Amino acid sequence: MTDVLRIRDLNKSFGGIVVADDINLDLRAGRVLGLIGPNGAGKTSLFNLVTGVVKPDTGSITLDGQSIDALPIYQRARRGLARTWQNLRLFPSLSVLDNVMLGPRDYPGEKLTSLIFDARGVARRQAEERDRAHAILKRTGLAGVAQSRVQDIAYGQQKLVGVARALMNDARCLLLDEPMAGVEGQAYGAIQRVVRDIAESGVAVCVVEHNVAFVRDLCDEGVFMFAGKVLARGTVGELIADPRLTELYFGT
Amino acid sequence: MEYVVTIIILVGLFVILAASFDLIIGYCGLISIAHPIFYAIGAYTSAMLAKEAGFPVPLAMLMGAGAALVSSILVALPSLRVSGDYLLIASIGFQLGLIELAKHFHEIGGAGGLTNIPPFLIREVGREAYAVLVVVIAALTVWFVRWMATGPYGRMMSALRDDELAFSMLGRNAIWVKVSVFGIGSAIAGLAGGLYAHYFRFIEPDQFGLLASSAVLTMVVVGGMRTTWGPVVGAIVLQLLPQVITFFGLPPSVLGPLQGIMFTGLVLVFMFMRPQGLIAASDLWRGREGGARHD
Ligand SMILES: Nc1ncnc2c1ncn2[C@@H]1O[C@H](COP(=O)(O)OP(=O)(O)O)[C@@H](O)[C@H]1O
Ligand SMILES: [Mg+2]
Repeated sequence: MTDVLRIRDLNKSFGGIVVADDINLDLRAGRVLGLIGPNGAGKTSLFNLVTGVVKPDTGSITLDGQSIDALPIYQRARRGLARTWQNLRLFPSLSVLDNVMLGPRDYPGEKLTSLIFDARGVARRQAEERDRAHAILKRTGLAGVAQSRVQDIAYGQQKLVGVARALMNDARCLLLDEPMAGVEGQAYGAIQRVVRDIAESGVAVCVVEHNVAFVRDLCDEGVFMFAGKVLARGTVGELIADPRLTELYFGT
Repeated sequence: MEYVVTIIILVGLFVILAASFDLIIGYCGLISIAHPIFYAIGAYTSAMLAKEAGFPVPLAMLMGAGAALVSSILVALPSLRVSGDYLLIASIGFQLGLIELAKHFHEIGGAGGLTNIPPFLIREVGREAYAVLVVVIAALTVWFVRWMATGPYGRMMSALRDDELAFSMLGRNAIWVKVSVFGIGSAIAGLAGGLYAHYFRFIEPDQFGLLASSAVLTMVVVGGMRTTWGPVVGAIVLQLLPQVITFFGLPPSVLGPLQGIMFTGLVLVFMFMRPQGLIAASDLWRGREGGARHD
């Protein structure tokens, strides 16, 4: 089993708040890792550190064996790192389809030279990406709302748009920040199925989630975070059964 | 007749300026009002190359656009790397600084302005031909901005305006998109500058200052940002309005400030009464491919 993402000795604090305290973590191809911990544990911050949104104080991260420490966000994404956001961050002035169409690692027409001197090539590649986007929308159960505005669809569907957008990356490593929060009904099953599929295709997946049943059913393994530290790693069942961790989780 | 031709040329030039400025401030959401300085750079570069170095005027105009492109990238790159908010400050500083500087360079005419700029087309073919040239370039500019805005770049600009961080996380290079759009818009302004210089044959630093900035901003806001025809309507309305005022025969000392007040007043009125401008943009981006595929 190969490590897609390697996090070594990662530290970060904001003033007095330590959000990452000597974190060492590996994400493996084809596996789903659950990231569990109470609010404020530093889960989202870990995603921000990995994706380059926040710069670490010390530590290093490699993606497929190559250091990504010096890379800006967009270049990390182009190496195959994709994520969703706890607070969605969709593009409200774009339709569902157009939100998703922005996701390819290599967006046709982003280079002005190709846009101007190879307009046909760009148009052809745009059409290909459009077909891929339609396929992903179908797979995530969003085919019926492809032309809708993102703010007009149900919250669960909006979460799925975030996932669909990330899937366009054809990522090596996918980070999902609370994909189930506020989601019920059809979208619930859809997200679970899609995440399972993605992992089976060889992607390293990490999910932050408070929904215990979801995490237990989906994740091959879990880590428990608290105050910026990784306290334990094991199956989700083991982590849930640990009274020390449940006490930290539910607070004092 | 000469008066009418001149008005058509002025309207055409302002259509070019407003449409290219709409690309920057409307479609891409880059906050800058220094558009006229790139107009000035195009005008001065083209005028000097034709007058002092004997360049053929069309080539000089293209060099003027190139100079505007390069200088706009030099202004935008460092400020956009820090944060979008610095662009406004950096570009205004650049605009006002360069205008002051130009006033002290006698080689380019100093504060008194640059005179005897070589004419183009006017003598050989006539003023009407020049008006046709300007109108054609204005139409091409409007078409080009629409082409950019409804294609792959338009989708990127909409997303970038909505959420730069989420945009970057998809692998899109936000700074590159912003600098490219700023550069392209400014280059078009530079071309307009060349077209101005070789028709009117006189340019002075002060005509490219904040009054010009407020005029172009007003055209875009009043006409309607992020629309194809908004900058056109804005340029026509705001170019004809001052012409109407000139009929009242007010002295120039009153006329200039009056126009400034009028532009500022119009922007304020529209901001409060009709922020979308005369022509309202759709709040949902639609690409030209349509993309309505039902299966
Ligand atoms: N940019 C920031 N500046 C200051 N404090 C921050 C910042 N981002 C996160 N924090 C703080 O770090 C802690 C961890 O936050 P977060 O990573 O969002 O936790 P979680 O996702 O586990 O709920 C919180 O106390 C939060 O307030
Ligand atoms: Mg969080």
